[in-house]
Amino acid sequence: MVLAAAFGGCAPTTSAKTIAVPDEKRFRMKSRPLMTLRLATAPTQNLGETPEGTRVTYPIVGGVFDGERLRGKVLSGGSDWTVQRPDGAMELDLRVTLETDDGALIYMTFTGIRDDAHAYFRTLPRFETAAPEYAFLNRLLAVGTAEIRADGPVHIIEEIV
Amino acid sequence: MNSALLMVLQVTVGTPQKIGAVPHGTRATAPIVGGSFEGPRLRGRVLTGGGDWTLLRSDGVLELDLRVTLETDDGALIHLASFGLRHGPPEVLAALARGETVDPASYYFRTTPRFETGHAKYAFLNRLLAVSTGDRKATGPIYTMYEAL
Repeated sequence: MVLAAAFGGCAPTTSAKTIAVPDEKRFRMKSRPLMTLRLATAPTQNLGETPEGTRVTYPIVGGVFDGERLRGKVLSGGSDWTVQRPDGAMELDLRVTLETDDGALIYMTFTGIRDDAHAYFRTLPRFETAAPEYAFLNRLLAVGTAEIRADGPVHIIEEIV
Repeated sequence: MNSALLMVLQVTVGTPQKIGAVPHGTRATAPIVGGSFEGPRLRGRVLTGGGDWTLLRSDGVLELDLRVTLETDDGALIHLASFGLRHGPPEVLAALARGETVDPASYYFRTTPRFETGHAKYAFLNRLLAVSTGDRKATGPIYTMYEAL
């Protein structure tokens, strides 16, 4: 099957003849819950207009995370370095250290897009740890869905399986 | 998690440049010499000049760092950069290395593409995050990309 056939209404192109569509059922984007992350932030640092856009840094002073495979607290000291682009979308760049309830430290980063005009707020978290029991985090990619609540941002993070 | 098919991207890989052992692992760069992509909202070809800068980590995971320029069938240029991970059972990875056809469900090959374009018609790409599943063929990978909705 070629892709043009899969999108019936789309005009086929020469390239369509060469791209085989993988089995949709087996190749669907599948995910499973990893954790819910709540961040506590300190007053924002408004850096103003830079060549990149409007830069605002959100210092992270704490928080909690909870999932079936890991839970614990967010250490103070990280931040989310954000920049509002001229097209209105905000780019996120977060770095924090997580501490599990059994004492493992996990370095977590994410990049993300927050576009309030389109009600879109998604992140791509990555994890790095030396703790053997959490080494699975080194080997996975994840997607986060975020929302801003009165007590701070909440990130629902799912592992891409 | 909700997602929607964004495109299927097929790239053709040239002769790998084996940089060798570096402080972070074993590095090899795969030049991208062409390819094509097709999805509900965009289709076109892959320009020559990109590459996939790969790093085999000490834990056996291959980190992927792909950068290519896409050209749509109506002439827009799109910058694509994606970070990815590939790992699996040793026998599966060995078969891949020999250029054999391997069931893509037998190993983990996922990437997180990001797009940049100056073309108004495709500006929606600037505002989305995506995830892809990879299928390594002998001539190069095929990525099925999904927009994270």
